[in-house]
Amino acid sequence: MNGSVAMNHESLRKNLTWWMAAAALLVGCGKVEPPPFRLNMTQMVSNETPTSPEYQQEIADVLGAMFGTPDEPYAVPEAGLDLSRLRMAAGAAWSDEKGTNHGLYRKHCVHCHGITGDGRGPTARFLNPYPRDYRQGVYKFKSTYNADRPTDDDLLRVLVNGVPGTAMPSFSLLPHSELEALVEYVKYLSIRGQLEVSLAAYVYDDLGEEAEVDENGDEKVDSEGNEITKRIPLDPVNDPEQREVVMELLAEIIEGWESSAEKVVIPSEDHIPADNRNAEEIAASVAQGRELFFGTRANCVKCHGPTALGDGQQDDQDSWNKAHKKFLQDMVNAGDQEGVHPGIVASRAEVVASIYTVRNAIPRNLRQGIYRGGRRRLDIFWRIYTGIAGTPMPATGPASPGAQGTLKEEEIWNIVDYVLSLPYETPSRPLKALPVNLEAVN
Amino acid sequence: MMTINSKHLTGCTRVAVFAAIALATFASATAADWGTLKGRFVLDGDLGEPTALTVSKDVEYCGKNNLVDESIAVGEGNALKNVFVYLYLKRGKSVDIHPDLAEPSSEPVVLDNHGCRFEPHVALLRTGQTLEVRNSDKGIGHNTNFTLLKNPAFNEMVTNDSPIKKMFTKSESYPSSAVCSIHPWMKAHVLIRDNPYMATSGEDGSFVIEKIPAGTHEFIFWQESSGNLKKLSVGKSKTSRKGRAKLKIPADGELDLGEIKVKLSDLRK
Repeated sequence: MNGSVAMNHESLRKNLTWWMAAAALLVGCGKVEPPPFRLNMTQMVSNETPTSPEYQQEIADVLGAMFGTPDEPYAVPEAGLDLSRLRMAAGAAWSDEKGTNHGLYRKHCVHCHGITGDGRGPTARFLNPYPRDYRQGVYKFKSTYNADRPTDDDLLRVLVNGVPGTAMPSFSLLPHSELEALVEYVKYLSIRGQLEVSLAAYVYDDLGEEAEVDENGDEKVDSEGNEITKRIPLDPVNDPEQREVVMELLAEIIEGWESSAEKVVIPSEDHIPADNRNAEEIAASVAQGRELFFGTRANCVKCHGPTALGDGQQDDQDSWNKAHKKFLQDMVNAGDQEGVHPGIVASRAEVVASIYTVRNAIPRNLRQGIYRGGRRRLDIFWRIYTGIAGTPMPATGPASPGAQGTLKEEEIWNIVDYVLSLPYETPSRPLKALPVNLEAVN
Repeated sequence: MMTINSKHLTGCTRVAVFAAIALATFASATAADWGTLKGRFVLDGDLGEPTALTVSKDVEYCGKNNLVDESIAVGEGNALKNVFVYLYLKRGKSVDIHPDLAEPSSEPVVLDNHGCRFEPHVALLRTGQTLEVRNSDKGIGHNTNFTLLKNPAFNEMVTNDSPIKKMFTKSESYPSSAVCSIHPWMKAHVLIRDNPYMATSGEDGSFVIEKIPAGTHEFIFWQESSGNLKKLSVGKSKTSRKGRAKLKIPADGELDLGEIKVKLSDLRK
């Protein structure tokens, strides 16, 4: 095998040993327990990857070895994360004598996005929309193709501008170095969360129980003729094959993040509308955009509604809420849960109770002039071209470089013009204000 | 990054790797014994009349199609349709593929938005084969939102006469769902695998997988409404908690699992 790979395994093994030793040392210190990362329990007790408590612990151990703790973050070199930035963002919030701020994530983000980046901080339940759960690596407001990860610049833009119309504020007053540290930390939480899901899938698909075989290779049976099985532990420290798989799973995730800069949608110069268009030219483009908005190719009208108030199709959910909805349905339908590990059954009720009310994805009201992903023409172009990842909003441009899209770029720019005109357009059938007191009127 | 690049391999390892590849090719070329797996799914229980779907969008067009819930679909004599049966492979493991099946078909697999439902409801796709998502509902806009775990997911508008064409490079462990966000009742499942050993049960509930290398393999049994079909009697075996059964495929013969009874109560769990 390749030399660098072998070394990576070595570093993983060493770090796991270190982490467990450190964890042992902390026990009984008398200090306040530092906040731990929480497991993705909807994943662990799901129908798709039911993960027994033993495996849950092993997954937590592997993640601990590869990513450290909220106080002591770590990243294996393959993750390509900047450890000094992670350290700036992690840990308790405090300032030193020189005025350097530490623990930036806990100072600015944790109350909504949670220690684990699961979007479940203490205030999360009360917000609409819910804060982003980073653990899928899916972000809505970005410049890349729908399926691709955001670039650092995309995440930075969200931090600087905030997300208008939501509880996410602007952090434009923070120094650039602090913003960079936070971007790195958000990516760290995403990568960690993505790997957690991959590990649960790997454990379910490939590990689990295996029939024991005797020296002749025949399956052993007990006195009643049932197969004798043994659990294959997730133990990448001692199992080189598993180690390789874990590093492969990580590499697949990292590849998505590292290639994101190549996946930015750059509008073709030929079709970007000129800055000096006159009123007639703009009106013509708006009219064209309106046609597309109501037509079946772009079909914006189906969700955003004929008046663009966002009152069309409102029955669908974003992928985060949809996953919760499916999980709750599966649990309702789980019946006697025969054959499910008792340790999983035991925690299912608690996980069900912890899930926030499932909310539908309400299409944006385009008459308010509030654009969550930014109000620049380019931002709106990206929303229409790439769709909005994780939501029902589909892409109208090509899904990847060189693919075929539904709309041409100039048509997308027409829709941008129409969308930007909507807050100023009089609705064709303006709703009349209802009389406040009918008796008084009569 | 962990991509294994040949320039990182030392000369010695490179020889070993090539030797291993050569050996593998040789082995598959000589494994002349192939067998067939077949069976027929029957629903054990009374499904009753199919549940009509609530059509909330494009009612004029979609409403006239008498759309029903297809999550459990039966044909004549309670034949259970749309059950997936496919070869389970551990991560990183491959299977010998019969020379006739070495290349995926150059014909695309078509998933059509037709009458405000997906046609077909279930489909099989090999890596390297083209998936063509069409919209033959004239004047009706559809989008196709595909949830994929190993391949890049997509959510795109699909218009009349301009199908979306997709090709995938990685095997998915389970059938992937396609939905339409505009018409949320629409759903289909497509299984993407890097080998040809997969099937879905047809109109009469039967399925057949041909030219499987002889020997014992694990197969997954999967149905849309319950996922993995657990503790299902398949021939002389029973599926595990993960819906898998070890089955012995005879050389130059067939393993007929006969009638496989799927309890309705198990599907509705």
